Amino acid sequence: MDNNFLVIENISKSFEDNKVLENINLNISKSEFFGLLGSSGSGKTTLLRILGGFEKPDTGRVILDGTDITNLEPFDRPLNYMFQSYALFPHLNVFNNLAFGIKENFTQKEIEINVRNIAELLSIEHLLKRRIKQLSGGEQQRVALGRCLIKKPKLLLLDEPLAALDKKLRSKTQLELTTLQKKLKITFVFVTHDQEEAMSLSDRMAIMKNGLILECSSPEEIYENPKSLYTANFIGIANIIEIYKKDENFYSDDLGINFKLNKELKNTKTNILLRPEKIKIQSINTSKASSFNSFSGEILEKSYLGSFTRYEIKINNTIISVIDQNFNSNSNYNFPKEEKVICSWESESIKILED
Amino acid sequence: MKNKLFEKYFVFSPYFWLILFFFIPLAIIFKISISVSEWGMPPYQDIFLFDNGLKINTTFENYVYIFSDYYYIGSFVNSLILALISTFFCLLIGFPLAFYIATSNIRLRNILLVLVVIPFWSSFLLRVYAWKIILQNNGILNVILLNLGITSEPLQLLYNQYAVIMGIVYTYLPLMILPLYGYLNKFDLNLIEASKDLGLNRFKTFFKVILPLSVPGIVAGSLLVFIPVVGEFIIPEMLGGSDRLYYGKILWEEFFVNRNWPGASALAFSGIIILVLPIVIFQILYSRWSQKNEI
Repeated sequence: MDNNFLVIENISKSFEDNKVLENINLNISKSEFFGLLGSSGSGKTTLLRILGGFEKPDTGRVILDGTDITNLEPFDRPLNYMFQSYALFPHLNVFNNLAFGIKENFTQKEIEINVRNIAELLSIEHLLKRRIKQLSGGEQQRVALGRCLIKKPKLLLLDEPLAALDKKLRSKTQLELTTLQKKLKITFVFVTHDQEEAMSLSDRMAIMKNGLILECSSPEEIYENPKSLYTANFIGIANIIEIYKKDENFYSDDLGINFKLNKELKNTKTNILLRPEKIKIQSINTSKASSFNSFSGEILEKSYLGSFTRYEIKINNTIISVIDQNFNSNSNYNFPKEEKVICSWESESIKILED
Repeated sequence: MKNKLFEKYFVFSPYFWLILFFFIPLAIIFKISISVSEWGMPPYQDIFLFDNGLKINTTFENYVYIFSDYYYIGSFVNSLILALISTFFCLLIGFPLAFYIATSNIRLRNILLVLVVIPFWSSFLLRVYAWKIILQNNGILNVILLNLGITSEPLQLLYNQYAVIMGIVYTYLPLMILPLYGYLNKFDLNLIEASKDLGLNRFKTFFKVILPLSVPGIVAGSLLVFIPVVGEFIIPEMLGGSDRLYYGKILWEEFFVNRNWPGASALAFSGIIILVLPIVIFQILYSRWSQKNEI
């Protein structure tokens, strides 16, 4: 695959004395759905606005499909930007909002055909005569999307595309957005602070913090093998445990148990990540804690969430989160609060965070 | 019960105000305008005479006289043209300023707003008089021009209609900027970025997005400038020449020089009707239009 469709090279940006982006490098492939995930103030929106041409970077270049677009005005860039607020024109109806970007270069008949096609694609044919204020949030989102897609951009930038929608609509739109993107094969780059949204939409995603890209990979890779403590904590639920070398094995003072790794360590002391669903939970009556990768603890909190149950298990003043899939429909399957249980895990499930 | 009464009064209080300070004075002016004038104090006769029963003593002669003499109509037309030109220049200067203020950061914005309002802190008369000092033959501007060698003899800058327009634009500019600012302040800047993103350059974005969405602010500011300028008396009197007569000046002369109260009242009343009627019609049409367009 062409890995150099969109190249972001050494981009830095400061607002007054505040460094917002520091030496950002990213390569995004054609037809990729790429997510920029970060908390507020991470610089993700500034990066997107630089791509859109609304901010000029202090240093670096943006190359799209082999053309340097760093110094082009927004209206000269072959890309489009979908605003978080949608920024639909309140003085125009849906038809004219959709047609806004193509009015210049198309005949009336062509405009009509293009608008119909895009409205059909997004199932908003019945809304064309409506005014923007008469639309629901979901409908506005479609119009905003249609207004960009009608221009057949090489790249579509989306700023928090689903943030303004309610929860139920969001998951439906998520699915539609990925389907649409795969169908049109347009490169999508979007910004979000919602890790679930990032994981469900992205082919690849970049985790941003304080103007830096910490990690850039597929959602699976980032969840399973995070490289830093920050990403481990940021994505999903994480049990972070500090271990150090003791004799042949590794030992955790907090838990007071031995760990066995299937890999050599560079340092004698490190943090490890243990995802809650990798931990097996068993009754104390039917099993025993072994000498490593296992402990017995007491259930402190329990939340039953339908498809799975989340337990907070206490051992030596440390709390470990465990997620247990509810395979059985028997309600007695769940462990009650204050019950003593045995937790265990495989050596492969332990991820070492070296940073 | 007491509360309800208060609420009722409260809702209708603007109407009381309007009746007390607009309709009653207007009725009095109308009454004087149809009275017969005479030498005396007040210089007109009562419209009801009790002479062997009730007799109504009115005349519409004043109106006939005003509309048949080009002296009056001409001055009114002059004033309308002056108001149109001044409003246009106020808009031309005020719109970019208001837009700049509305889009600048909060610190600069507050400083600029204070600068816009500051002239109001000094007397209106003094400010107009200051222009007289600047523009007169041995005034500051002429001295500078002479010293720079741009002109060899003092230019006649004062006592013409250009000085009047300049004085009016200078005086009324804040009245244009403030309502425009109030409207543009709420302007969603993302709309401008969206327009550019969709391929429209600055110029087209201005005409397709900024201007149509600013119409309510432009209307408010323009009316605020246009209406008082039509009746403006002091600025043409101080900065203007004798080449052009304006409505305010005629009105003043009719009242204070000729002591023709009925004639002056008829002039004032016709002016209000000619000016207010189109504006009311315009406002009705405009509010319908903006409701339809949801601006």
